[in-house]
Amino acid sequence: MTASATVTSIRTAPAARPIQAGAQIRAFATLVRRRFALSARSPRELVVPVVNPIVFALVIAPALAGIVGRFRGGIDYMTFVAIGTTGLLIPINALFAGIGVFVDRETGARRDLLAAPIHRSLLVLGNLSVAVTTTGLQLVALLAAAALRGAIFNTSFAGALWFVGGAALLAIGMYGVAETLANRMATQEEYVGVLPAVAILPYFFAGSLFPISSLPGWLTVVARFIPLTHALALMRYGLVDHRGLGLHDIWGMSDPNVMAALSLGVLAVFALGMTFIAVRVFNKAAVH
Amino acid sequence: MIEVSELKKTYGGGVEAVKGISFEVEAGEVFGLLGPNGAGKSTTIGMLTTTIKPTSGSAIVAGQDVARHPLAARAASGIVFQEAVVDRALTGRRNLDVHARLWGVGSGEIGARIDEAAEAFGVAELLDRPVSTYSGGQRRRLEIARALLSEPQVLFLDEPTVGLDPRIRYELLDLVGGLREQGGMTVLLTTHYLDEAERLCDRVAIIHDGAIVAVDTPDRLIAGLGAEIVELRVEHDAHGAMSALKAGGIASDDALSLGSTLTIPLHERAGHEALVAIAELGLATTEVAARRTTLDDVYLRLTGTRLAA
Repeated sequence: MTASATVTSIRTAPAARPIQAGAQIRAFATLVRRRFALSARSPRELVVPVVNPIVFALVIAPALAGIVGRFRGGIDYMTFVAIGTTGLLIPINALFAGIGVFVDRETGARRDLLAAPIHRSLLVLGNLSVAVTTTGLQLVALLAAAALRGAIFNTSFAGALWFVGGAALLAIGMYGVAETLANRMATQEEYVGVLPAVAILPYFFAGSLFPISSLPGWLTVVARFIPLTHALALMRYGLVDHRGLGLHDIWGMSDPNVMAALSLGVLAVFALGMTFIAVRVFNKAAVH
Repeated sequence: MIEVSELKKTYGGGVEAVKGISFEVEAGEVFGLLGPNGAGKSTTIGMLTTTIKPTSGSAIVAGQDVARHPLAARAASGIVFQEAVVDRALTGRRNLDVHARLWGVGSGEIGARIDEAAEAFGVAELLDRPVSTYSGGQRRRLEIARALLSEPQVLFLDEPTVGLDPRIRYELLDLVGGLREQGGMTVLLTTHYLDEAERLCDRVAIIHDGAIVAVDTPDRLIAGLGAEIVELRVEHDAHGAMSALKAGGIASDDALSLGSTLTIPLHERAGHEALVAIAELGLATTEVAARRTTLDDVYLRLTGTRLAA
């Protein structure tokens, strides 16, 4: 098709427009919609991260529960492990979402975004929002599947808030880790290479399959410093572990609400800290 | 509209990509940065569009200091990058929509502007297809349309026709020329194509190895060497041939020897007169021709190397 070469009217704005807060909010919304649109084009990105946790929750957890039976505190082991699989889903999903950094960089789209009259932190925050939202939807699917399989959840409004808070802050912090790593690494291959160590290894030490008090003494101490440990204890406190046994393994106190608040604080520091680091690393990597 | 003062960029390892350049672009002017690959053109545009951080120096775009008010400078600018800068998985329309919203175009205006720009640049029928299905020329037209959606005061075009086949190149030159005829918009164009610089630019800065070696209108740059040039290829002893030409009053100090090819600016002398004079010298030449002076000859005179392959 031959292009029409006639440009009939080209207008120029009279003066540079001031940058307003409302414009930045609209820009953020645009970035979120863009990321959702790109994710929707790759359904694999949405499905793959949730496959393993669902298999775990639907197959492995019931099988293990058949051997273990009732757990401490009267908690059903299958339910215990089902919540533990969120400790796989959230980090894996976050790391998968970090691949979008490479895609933007390699397709060149990032340069146009960097040239836009918006605060560059919005580029990170927009991606973060989509990653956390997607993780939330997958979490709902995972827990629904586990419930249909026989997991027993017993929560209240306050319990649901503890669960959502723990899950959301873990997702935010893990996306910060993903974005930071992706901006520090030159290739996707390098990035995927660290995925097991960052997303999967902590799962085995954070109380996903058994309480951290079952670990050797020194590993129990290490586990207390892993954000995932706090998130899982908090999520279980919200959904099943109303005595806060998991939180007690971390803090050793008697008031579960106080311990839950402390773990929420740890996760908040993790989430905010990693987001701050991610924005700084992005700015440094994107603008030479 | 653009004021650049001692702008410098040094990368890690001490690589000086841009060595303290200064120039000004008037409002409504089409200004070219002409130089080969690696001369510092894209780095200069990167600094002016705040996608590359200067090592030192200053730049003002549309009255905004790019270091102190980067958002305002970006708001006044539209950019077409050298490499493809699109979301290939998304449709052309979605790419345009995202760009318009990020540049603050009102929601009520976006649809109309997209349709108008798409029509003007011949991509209206492609808009609802993913950009991954576009040809190189179609994608480039989409990118130019996109850069204009926000009605920028300054348009940066970084090698807009590189990598395109000649027919598509000339179509795009017509489009960019159309922008120039409309007036009002300031354009900074980088290129290593002489025809783009001569055809489109009001003034050209010749950039070589990170430094600007000349700034003037294409006509005045060429006039400095004269309307015509003689090029001759000698069998051997280029140095001796040059001495003979200078002694015969045909070549002056701005004549250049590059390998076995001698380039002689004729200044006021007519080409056919020079050819007769050269023939009378009896030099052993394999090729002698008079032709119109181009910016490539100006580049050769200033840098000692040719820009065109």
